[in-house]
Amino acid sequence: MPRLLRTASFRLAALYVVVFAVSALMLGAAVFLAARSALERQMTTRIETEVTFLREEFRRGGLDRLLATVRTRGRGASALDYLLVDRDGRRLAGEIPISASPRPGWTIVEVPEASEDNGRRERVRALASDLGGGVMLVVGDDLGRVAEVEEAVATAFLWTVGLAALLGIGGGVLVSRTFLARVDAIARTAEAIIEGDLARRVPLRGTNDDLDRLAGTLNHMLDRMGALMESLRQVSSDVAHDLRTPLSRLCQRLEDARTHARSVGDYEIAVDGALREAEGLLDTFAALLRIAQVEGASPRAGFRDVDLSAVAEAVADAYRPDVEEAGHSLDVQVVPGVVVRGDQELLTQAIANLVENALRHTPAGTRIGIRLSRDPGTAACLAVEDDGPGVKPEDLPRLADRFYRSERSRTTPGNGLGLSLVAAVAELHGACLLLEDAGPGLRAGLVFRADPDA
Amino acid sequence: MKVLVIEDDMETAAYIARGLREHGHVVDHVADGQDGLVMAAGGTYDVLVVDRMLPGLDGLGLVRTLRGAGVKAPVLFLTALRGVGDRVQGLEAGGDDYMVKPFAFAELLARLNALARRPPLSDVPIMLRVADLELDLLKRTVTRGGERVELQPREFRLLEFLARHANRVVTRTMLLEGVWDFHFDPRTNIVETHISRLRGKISRGGRDPELIHTVRGAGYALRAPAP
Repeated sequence: MPRLLRTASFRLAALYVVVFAVSALMLGAAVFLAARSALERQMTTRIETEVTFLREEFRRGGLDRLLATVRTRGRGASALDYLLVDRDGRRLAGEIPISASPRPGWTIVEVPEASEDNGRRERVRALASDLGGGVMLVVGDDLGRVAEVEEAVATAFLWTVGLAALLGIGGGVLVSRTFLARVDAIARTAEAIIEGDLARRVPLRGTNDDLDRLAGTLNHMLDRMGALMESLRQVSSDVAHDLRTPLSRLCQRLEDARTHARSVGDYEIAVDGALREAEGLLDTFAALLRIAQVEGASPRAGFRDVDLSAVAEAVADAYRPDVEEAGHSLDVQVVPGVVVRGDQELLTQAIANLVENALRHTPAGTRIGIRLSRDPGTAACLAVEDDGPGVKPEDLPRLADRFYRSERSRTTPGNGLGLSLVAAVAELHGACLLLEDAGPGLRAGLVFRADPDA
Repeated sequence: MKVLVIEDDMETAAYIARGLREHGHVVDHVADGQDGLVMAAGGTYDVLVVDRMLPGLDGLGLVRTLRGAGVKAPVLFLTALRGVGDRVQGLEAGGDDYMVKPFAFAELLARLNALARRPPLSDVPIMLRVADLELDLLKRTVTRGGERVELQPREFRLLEFLARHANRVVTRTMLLEGVWDFHFDPRTNIVETHISRLRGKISRGGRDPELIHTVRGAGYALRAPAP
């Protein structure tokens, strides 16, 4: 229960109750005062009218007619109170208890308990007037009627405030309990993840309210972290798997040299071989680290406008002699002035990797094409295609996996990391990695979205 | 050449120092950023080799402080970091060149030589000459023995880079960075192919003596043929 009282929703509900109660009380006081003043004015008018009427009766029919009228009008529950006194102070009619002869004007008369049926003190507001000839007329009305209305107004408002407070606190408890249950669900998920159950997600209710959206965002974050963890785990297992072979080869070479080398020449050959093996290992490590760094880099940090056309031309320019030397031909179709937001160094390397792949995995005589186009709907499409033997359709999805090398390319040099880097660069730039059958051959490239910020 | 090596890994430092001394250079070594700053600010070194991750004061902060104090000696950063933007960070802090561990000693030596003898920016030459080869940097033309040699723009840049470092070793990586702006290691031998084409053009099909020499295990050097 104390936890319930500390929740934000309960505190909010309590605050609302207090604000409502204060405003209801203020409204009540205003209604109370307005009602009292209106009732008092009404009472004054009634008494004054009565006095004017009785004065007229006295003028027309003298004291006898006045006495008769007063006696008749004094009967009934809602009747006014009267008192008629003669010159000597003797009471002629009416029951307002005034001992001395009254003076003209308004007075308040306290009526003792005994004179009333219900035994309650009564206060009478009375107007005394001299009718002439020593006759004094006093007309008054019971102030208790005003008090009754006042009491009714006050009671009604107090009930309202009380009920509102009760409902408010009850509602606050209910809302807070729901809120707490959902916060607890999030906390339980977090604890389960801390304990190691990485697949746990916050349950959604599908109501799309603020808590649901928060849970959705949290799940999204957990998915992203899960993907990163998975990629990290993948890297470690890849490294363990694929670096063992060259490492054991290095060991074998060195052991072989120790047991069989007879001359300095033998040792030199062994050392050279070991150095080459070690350099290859370092290359692979560097490539892995680079991929990991690109995958872990925060998108768009340090991005600038890159002239993709110029980059594509520069790469084509750099590789043209090599491509021609290898008996291939290079065909460049680049739309000038295509600019994307990105990292020039990484984009250069990505294009270079694609060209190198095309160069390495196709036989002499293959035509390698570098294409950069701007299509409606995408910002740019950069592709390297060849009309070589291509890739089996079932191998296409695995091409970008780390260390993946198709059966046919096992014998060519390389570490199977080139396309992984291209994929990582694409991901960093919010671009799609394009890998498709060029019929014949393979088309690989990057498709940039029209507006990466959208 | 007088070199200060600021590197906390003793083995790497010893490897660099031994190599440089073998090539006749004077080497001082400190393993701590603070000491390095004091030495670099007080000494008259031709070039500094600074590790990026140092105890006391890191390499970036050290070079920034040095540049702030007006020390102009060229700085080569050594680092195990090869992150996106790390190189830029190093150069922006006031470094002149950047090398990623592990590295070959030949590469380091070539780069230090290039740094130490880099001419002041004020006297930019407009004509470069090596033997009877002349490069006009304004008209972007090349003549060999007075006769015009036609080069592609990229070939001119390659030759210009070699000529600016004439008589010194230029490594493959230096060429990739300086000529093509490639800050990665291509797995094909594009540099070799370009050099071989350029050689063919400036020796005019082998009629003139070779000017671009291959330095085994290191790179290339543009120099006059031995008489």
